[in-house]
Amino acid sequence: MKHAALPEIGISQILGLVELLVGKGGREDIYKLAGELSMELGETLTVIKAAEMLGLVHTPGGDVVVEDFGNKVVDASITDRKDLIREKLEHFPLFKAIRDYLSSQEETEVTREEMLEKLAELIPNEDAEASFSSIVNWGRYSELFGYNDDSQTFYLGESRAE
Amino acid sequence: MIPEAHTLIELQHVTRRFMLPQGEVTVIENISFKAMEGEFISIVGPSGAGKSTLLRMMNGLLPPSEGAVLYNGREQRGINLDTAMVFQNFGLLPWLTVSQNIELGLEARSKDVVYRRSQVNRYITKVGLEGYEEAYPRELSGGMKQRVGLARALAVEPSLLLMDEPFSSLDVLTSINLRNELLDIWSDRENVVNTMIMVTHNIEEAIELSDRILILSNRPGKIAGELRIDLPRPRRKRDPLFSEYVDRVFSLLA
Repeated sequence: MKHAALPEIGISQILGLVELLVGKGGREDIYKLAGELSMELGETLTVIKAAEMLGLVHTPGGDVVVEDFGNKVVDASITDRKDLIREKLEHFPLFKAIRDYLSSQEETEVTREEMLEKLAELIPNEDAEASFSSIVNWGRYSELFGYNDDSQTFYLGESRAE
Repeated sequence: MIPEAHTLIELQHVTRRFMLPQGEVTVIENISFKAMEGEFISIVGPSGAGKSTLLRMMNGLLPPSEGAVLYNGREQRGINLDTAMVFQNFGLLPWLTVSQNIELGLEARSKDVVYRRSQVNRYITKVGLEGYEEAYPRELSGGMKQRVGLARALAVEPSLLLMDEPFSSLDVLTSINLRNELLDIWSDRENVVNTMIMVTHNIEEAIELSDRILILSNRPGKIAGELRIDLPRPRRKRDPLFSEYVDRVFSLLA
């Protein structure tokens, strides 16, 4: 089965974008925004798309507008933000598929190699290495998945909660 | 700010010279100022104005050539363990995990492993790094690396947090995010540290964050001016009063 990939942009940039927009009253022209940030338009669009995937903004016409969920995240404390984003990610089909896969494993963990193979199957058109590091990042931020680079094991978040 | 402000750190006629092959160079000349407890101060100036040297004299890493640094009214000699530093390039050890990097600053201060671990966990939570405990710096984005740098500094519960260009290695959006989170941490009354001194060359950043800005002139660094920022937070760049402050800082720098 094919799934949509995760945003390949880190959470800090996405939060920075939404915070900036909230400071501007919640709406801005995308082209103008890129100019003001001295960012390439393509780069700006990648961050906006990532924020949109998380339900933080939407993009009517050439504008980017903060959603209620975006306002809620910006107002939340550092720890509450993580919880809000986790709830979103839990419903991502790709995250669900990875969870099911890990749950079916003994000790709910797999090796990095096994994970790369699984990703080639789940998101065949994406670069598996890049997807893996993005999943590790989002997995760690949301605490849904963990990864140990020494032992090269990828595991279900709750299984090793300290 | 507290009505009866207490002076946390004071520089009295501080001058710093360095011996270089081409002769003696004065980097800082006759600088005096006080930082009150609870204040957020930025030191702004061109590169080469001796901003980092000034910070290193405040944490005691470097003694002044002339003058004195007073901490809580006493002359400071040697490293001040009541301060902690956040660096531009994060200052993380690549072979240590996030948790181990944060614990590093605590090792010089406490032999109690249980206490150290609990401090590490407490500050990992504060900066939003739960889930990253066993990650290595190479696996992290710049924003996450600087959160580690911040957690390591906060974990020792300093009374004074010193920051050397903490946002200038980060991309523009990440730096917006981290500035906001730093303000959240600064205004959180649960935290021990409530006095912050930041060095930056970014004027807007200084106005956005600070109660007071000290403007340094170049070679040797002297105080060219001082500005109190009387704007409620969060501060917005499009606010005309914000732009006025930018102009005033520029005119003092020029």
